[in-house]
Amino acid sequence: MKTFEEKWTAWLDEKLSDKELAEFEASLPDLAAAQAEKRGARKLGAFLKEQLGAQILGNEEFFNHQIHERIARDKEDRHRSRSIRWTIPRLVWAGATALALFLVTTVVLMTQHQPGEQSEYLTQILNSRVDPAANPNATIYIFESKNDNKVTVLWTEGLQSLPADYAAK
Amino acid sequence: METETTPAQADVSELDLVRRCQAGQTDAFDQLVTRYRTRVFAMIYNMVHNEQDAWDLAQESFVKAWKSIGRFKGKSSFYTWIYRIVMNVTIDWLRKRQIKAGGAEFDDAIQLKEIDPASKTVPKADPLPHQRMEQKEVRDRIDHAISQLSPEHRAVILMKEIEEMQYHEIAETLGCSIGTVMSRLFYARKKLQNSLRDVYENV
Repeated sequence: MKTFEEKWTAWLDEKLSDKELAEFEASLPDLAAAQAEKRGARKLGAFLKEQLGAQILGNEEFFNHQIHERIARDKEDRHRSRSIRWTIPRLVWAGATALALFLVTTVVLMTQHQPGEQSEYLTQILNSRVDPAANPNATIYIFESKNDNKVTVLWTEGLQSLPADYAAK
Repeated sequence: METETTPAQADVSELDLVRRCQAGQTDAFDQLVTRYRTRVFAMIYNMVHNEQDAWDLAQESFVKAWKSIGRFKGKSSFYTWIYRIVMNVTIDWLRKRQIKAGGAEFDDAIQLKEIDPASKTVPKADPLPHQRMEQKEVRDRIDHAISQLSPEHRAVILMKEIEEMQYHEIAETLGCSIGTVMSRLFYARKKLQNSLRDVYENV
């Protein structure tokens, strides 16, 4: 169902079928006034076409040139942003690879690391301590002097014997 | 519809140019711009009434067309397709400017109250000028009258009266129904008839 506005516009532009035209004109309260209104609208259309239809674009070649420049700039921007998009994953992958290498190297080095060789003298003392049959009450302390960090103190108690090559080192 | 073409350009089909544009050939797009630049500029100028703004909006429309030409499927003519872009760009611009200006430039609600759909033709009571108006004065009157219309009403009346587009083409361009186009056309005509009657009846 067309609204009055739609019917009026179609009537004005002569887009109504014969049947629709007859029905619409019969529904108008004042056909003569409507016809005048129609003539006025047509006049307005012709007037607008005459007055507004001849707008000239100056500097036509520059217009095209400017569009070309904008398109070229846009292409560059897109290329640059695509490069950035590729660089970020690359950076992530490079970082992850470096971290993995660091971890692997650390683990390998730690597993290969051996503590400094224990002195023969200390070994003998500890062996004495761990032999409960030979030294049932043996107690050995090893600590650093609080007063002088450079001095390590070996404190022995209950040893039945000291190694033969004992010497203060 | 007329296009701005030279005989050599006319030999190249529009669809062929579009296909070449879709393949990234900017020289083909240059030809399309040359074909439509004057009409696009004129259409926008009649909407915004400022040469520099019209230039910028026409540029923006063509650049947008280039960016989205890959999505053109050829279901409508290129002209209708680019007009849709032009109208979106221009109407958006007018709407933003309206918001910046506080929304007072055009108001459809006021227009509807002012218009009697079945009003009789009565010449305005305003006194007619003693001599024919200068061209600029006439143009200023038209521009002012059009500036009182909403962007959608401007678009419809200009596409119908200046571009002589069919209802369905206008509907396609604006993305609305044919009924909406006809309704907008009704109110736009009434409004312009009321505003310009003394001008077009006497020039």
